Amino acid sequence: MNEFTERQMQLTWRAPKKSYDVVIVGAGGHGLATAYYLATRHGITNVGVFERGYIGGGNSGRNTTIIRANYGIPAAVRFYQRSVDLYRGLEQETDRWLMHQQKGILWMAHSEAAVRAERMRAKLNTEFGAETEFVGPRQVEELCPQLDMSGGGRWPVLGASYHPQGATARHDRVVWALAEGAMERGAHVHQNTPVEGLILDGERVAGVRTAAGDVAARAVVSAVGGHVSRIAAMAGLRLPIRTHRLQAFVTNHYRQQFGPIVASSELFFYASQTARGEMLLGAEIDPQPSFSYRSSHDFVQDVCRRALCLLPFMSNLRVLRQWTGVCDMSPDYSPIMGRTGVPGFFITTGWGTWGFKAIPAGGEQMAELIATGEIPELIAPFGLDRFARDRTMADRGSAGTH
Amino acid sequence: MSLRIPCPLCGDRSVHEFVHGEIRRIPDHVTDPDERDLDFAFHHDNEEGVVTERWFHALGCRRWFEIRRDTTTDRIVGAAES
Amino acid sequence: MTTLLVDGQRIEARGGDSLLVAMLRVGLHPTGGGCLCLAGDCPNCLVTVDGVAYTRSCQVPARDGMIVRRDHLGGEEPALLPDEAMSAGSAAPAHHVHCDTVVIGQGASGREAAREAREVGFDVATFDARDGQHVTGVYPGPLVVAADDGGRVLHVHPRREIVVATGAAEIQPVVPGSDLEGLVTARAAAKLVGAGIDLGRAVAVGEPPGELPSGSLAGHFPLGQGGWELVRFDGDGRVEAVVLRRHGDDGAAEERIQCDTAVLGLGRNPRNALARMASDLPVRVVGSAATEPELPSCPREGTVCPCSGVTVADLDGVWERGFHEMELLKRATLAGTGTCQGGVCLPYLRSFLLERGGRLQPAFTARPLNRQLTVRELAAGAHTAVTARSPLHDEHLRLGARMDRAGGWWRPWTYGRQDDEYRSVRERVSLGDVSSLGKMAISGPDAEAFLERIVPTRVATIRPGRCRYVLMLDERGYLLDDGMLCREAEQVAGDRFFLTSTSGGSGFFELWMRDWAEAFGCDVRILNQTASLAAINVTGPLAARLLARAGALELPAFGRHRRVRVAGVDCRVVRLSFTGELSYELHHPAADARKLWRRLLEAGAAFGVQPHGLEALLRLRLEKGHIVIGQDTDYDSTPRRLAHEWAVDLNKGDFVGRQAVLRTNKQPLDKRLVALRVDNPPAGDGAHPSAEGAAIHDGDRYAGYVTSDTGTTAGGDATMLGWLYLDAEGRLPREVTVDGHPARRVDGPTYDPEGERARAAVDRRDEAPENVREFPVVRLEATDLAAGIPAEPPRLRWLEATRVSTTPEALAALVKRPPWSAGALTFRTAPDELLVTATPDFGVAGDPHAIVERETAFSYVWLDEATAERFLDRECEWPRPGARPAFAQGEVAGIPARLWFEAGKTLILTPAPFAAAFERRLTASLAEIDGGAT
Repeated sequence: MNEFTERQMQLTWRAPKKSYDVVIVGAGGHGLATAYYLATRHGITNVGVFERGYIGGGNSGRNTTIIRANYGIPAAVRFYQRSVDLYRGLEQETDRWLMHQQKGILWMAHSEAAVRAERMRAKLNTEFGAETEFVGPRQVEELCPQLDMSGGGRWPVLGASYHPQGATARHDRVVWALAEGAMERGAHVHQNTPVEGLILDGERVAGVRTAAGDVAARAVVSAVGGHVSRIAAMAGLRLPIRTHRLQAFVTNHYRQQFGPIVASSELFFYASQTARGEMLLGAEIDPQPSFSYRSSHDFVQDVCRRALCLLPFMSNLRVLRQWTGVCDMSPDYSPIMGRTGVPGFFITTGWGTWGFKAIPAGGEQMAELIATGEIPELIAPFGLDRFARDRTMADRGSAGTH
Repeated sequence: MSLRIPCPLCGDRSVHEFVHGEIRRIPDHVTDPDERDLDFAFHHDNEEGVVTERWFHALGCRRWFEIRRDTTTDRIVGAAES
Repeated sequence: MTTLLVDGQRIEARGGDSLLVAMLRVGLHPTGGGCLCLAGDCPNCLVTVDGVAYTRSCQVPARDGMIVRRDHLGGEEPALLPDEAMSAGSAAPAHHVHCDTVVIGQGASGREAAREAREVGFDVATFDARDGQHVTGVYPGPLVVAADDGGRVLHVHPRREIVVATGAAEIQPVVPGSDLEGLVTARAAAKLVGAGIDLGRAVAVGEPPGELPSGSLAGHFPLGQGGWELVRFDGDGRVEAVVLRRHGDDGAAEERIQCDTAVLGLGRNPRNALARMASDLPVRVVGSAATEPELPSCPREGTVCPCSGVTVADLDGVWERGFHEMELLKRATLAGTGTCQGGVCLPYLRSFLLERGGRLQPAFTARPLNRQLTVRELAAGAHTAVTARSPLHDEHLRLGARMDRAGGWWRPWTYGRQDDEYRSVRERVSLGDVSSLGKMAISGPDAEAFLERIVPTRVATIRPGRCRYVLMLDERGYLLDDGMLCREAEQVAGDRFFLTSTSGGSGFFELWMRDWAEAFGCDVRILNQTASLAAINVTGPLAARLLARAGALELPAFGRHRRVRVAGVDCRVVRLSFTGELSYELHHPAADARKLWRRLLEAGAAFGVQPHGLEALLRLRLEKGHIVIGQDTDYDSTPRRLAHEWAVDLNKGDFVGRQAVLRTNKQPLDKRLVALRVDNPPAGDGAHPSAEGAAIHDGDRYAGYVTSDTGTTAGGDATMLGWLYLDAEGRLPREVTVDGHPARRVDGPTYDPEGERARAAVDRRDEAPENVREFPVVRLEATDLAAGIPAEPPRLRWLEATRVSTTPEALAALVKRPPWSAGALTFRTAPDELLVTATPDFGVAGDPHAIVERETAFSYVWLDEATAERFLDRECEWPRPGARPAFAQGEVAGIPARLWFEAGKTLILTPAPFAAAFERRLTASLAEIDGGAT
């Protein structure tokens, strides 16, 4: 037995019913969190979650597990700070070990423009409750002694914004804990049961067609990652979404402790250490739209090259494994949550490269919307109608990286 | 290297050398000028399958061209149908 | 004699020994136990070699001086000193191989596949792990990445086919005691005996090894029907006995067979990870790699995954709790996520799931890396993004500038005297290097119509010789960039324009323009002159006097531009102003920049001229309320939000973003970019900390944030730009606070609100012509191509050439009957564009709109063929043409390059802003090759 083998959770599988109060399409983090909060906060347990593969098999199980709130616009900072707070209480609330670890995140600047951007980020974040400070090179070095402060002689670290609440958690465990919490209260989760169509009753979405038969529902929520445009098209919607690959890789175990999460917007990569001691690296999305889960060599090649500038100690670490997820990108780098204009059909998408950190808040808010019929204030700015209303949520703080 | 893009002028090159461009199609049933504009500005087909798209060979001839690519596999299906 | 150090102990290896064999000779098991396969399929021989952890000792030849630790997790590496860090931060060398067919594995089927391919004339590359060639992945491209024992990383680009002939791996035992020492697979046993290692009393279980000399086995126990079942291994640290039971009879008595070595022939599974990884690539799997996997019987007890330490009990534990999918089983136990990537456990996981769930589940996804390379090996062939250099880069360094990356260029941030730099602009005269601006020449029958379509400003009213500030919008009506648009004064046939963009936008500028030119079907010629032209901004109240001293008397009035010879250099002088002072922007051939710069400094010495950096410029423009794209603007910045409605003419006809502007104007306005005057900002030593990012409040209401504040303003108040949200009544508040300090929204610039200084009429009467020094024509630094191949180390030089943009037909005709001398080299870089090493003293027949311009934006180097080939094998991943002469273009060493291949020598051209980086990479690469050759 290794110390990470799962020993607590109990997943209970049941046969699908002919109808549910709420059907959720997609048993990833967001879908399961919605089911979890419907059950725990609103007592709504007649819920069916349909998944084409296995739970957490999409981006929930392919991300780089970073939790942070240092975004670039007030509405986003508030929303992600809510998620950071919920994450901090989630182990206690679910009584499950999620490997939640607060380690702080350092966002490095190598130019005056980046120094300015990081200073601005610090000010704006602090104003909206996401503690962030700009720190000089000496403090950066203290926080992460492994850094080559000269950046390989070419990318000197002039400073960084430091967000102490930056954290990581084990992605799979978050998914399982939410699944378990929803299941034990009566929600159904159905694996290997793709949704093949929506049942329309006039204008209204009244259920889903699945591989296991038709299922009626008063509300249908798309919490799909990677194929949301297809689900939306079933309801006659065109979405402001394009899907791109996002890749990542881990090295073998590194025995020394690597403290914070380290990111550089100019070298386009970020690194953190997993609970198993592996160095986990990620970068920006692939530029062309794609649904392919295939990893590419140029990704690992380029990120290794860039990482060596700042983290030369990694030189002799072996890269163990690469993988790929597909991300739904919105035009303004912000999520899309809420109503769709089609009665009975809700959506949570546009999770780009920031979906994992938003799982608890996204689920909590979507559950509140479905349970109360009122759009919660926290996600009101993130509605699908914002593009038509010229209220895009352009967020520099999320563009580029995780 | 990863995906190779066939530039009709320079030959096959790594996707690194190119900038991707989308060819946007607004559905015919959208007729209101503002709605057409909104669709053009923000909405995408985001098609899973073969798409015709534009690429700009930034590190070579610096010209645009069209190819067809399967977005589910990234396989280049061929030059654009004329 | 090969001597190596294992845990501080000297051991000697024989020729041909792998590290593992050398260790086993002296009785050292690398990990203290576990069945050894000697084929790289298991994690049981991992060690740390020369500081590289997780190294398979069976795959590494024993080398003299190797330092080995039997602790594969790696050590506590000491902190690196800066010098070490620099070299640690470098990537391993890459080597590109282009071939028709790659055959991975050189067993019988691999050799056969290679032979067949060669027979039909294909160029074949072969790899075999036994020769120290480890294939780490098969990727799209297609690309096969491998590392060899010499530390080279091979990137193999097959044109036709990848043949996977990797054979089969032997199944490892999963029973109690499988972590003991003294367990080997059947094939490993044969290899060890072949190497002269004494196995002691060896007992074979299952299929015995074929190649063993008779008598070397003390016993043989076949498995399965009519034979035996493996129960466990007994022993304390080392195997003492194999415990067996008659197959199919759980009640049968156990038999204990004493042994020193258990030789295990438990069956084979195809080594098909590379094939599975390749999925839809042109891959053919041959030999035993192509066979169907054999499922072992479901394990009852013991360690299933030795990498992650997962036992059968662990699998049962998670199965009981509902983890029934292969991927969930893997994720919940971490089985299959270690070094062997499921090599040992995958067959057992499948049989476990089949027995428990009655459903045969597919193998989990095969992901790279099949063999784990190090970060520095994987980085081979990659370069970090290159930052462009202005032709004045070295001048700035000479003047003590601190250079900073901005918008993809190195820019002088300060010359160490920020306040003085600022004052020299406001009070005297100063030079600023604005060479990084995007610059585009546009001509053609549709030039004006095209520009009307892509900028929201009316173009028709820009008269010849005039210029205008223009916005560029995207299709969402959001600000993309800004620049100035000049209509040429000289009426060549048809219209000709010159359009600039910001430095940051220069990379995007051309593709954006060409995209729209094609979309609108406009008949235009477009020539990107961003690198071709340097630009110096001469700014300050004494700017005209300085220029007069440099020989430029006929200067344009405000809002105009003209061709003027300044200090002997042909310049386009544009008079607009970003600093708020009298300003002349001098656009001129890049090769002349250095001399012009020096002579302007010389001519201005009497006026106290000095250059200003970006920091001073940002402060100067802020006082004028000029926006900086990307700093003050955001993705949703409509002209209305930016208070730039004045730069948009909605009545002139359609343009990119027009409908979007109309559409968004129907929505209530939510925020506006405003100038704020803050009295007495919190002061430090004569300066205040920058308020950028600070919240703006309207009473208690959050009302926006500051986007620009230099934090350096002396004198008790500061001008800032910021986003201000309208209040509930739709009003823009006048009085607000910034970080708690009272601030007032102001309309228009705080410095010289009427713009009198920038627009000042220039009186040059005090500059009598006799005071004007005449300068000689600048001698070019470009060198004649006939100079041929330079001495080592190769140095890049400026190329003196001409660039032509015209129609494809006119270009074809031009090339057929060239007006230049026969010795000139001609590179057709696109159907409608040409680079020729001649002077621009010709026109293009058949196209009065052709753009023919002097071009000094390229640097070149000649390499002899052998040197060029060695360099390109490493730094050019795409296949080069075989014919001579030939032209090709694409990325080389991470930089766009144009290559001209002649018999015996190769010419490489690279954009001058990247020349220094290219030269550095070329030199480093050749030095490594030469170093590696010895």
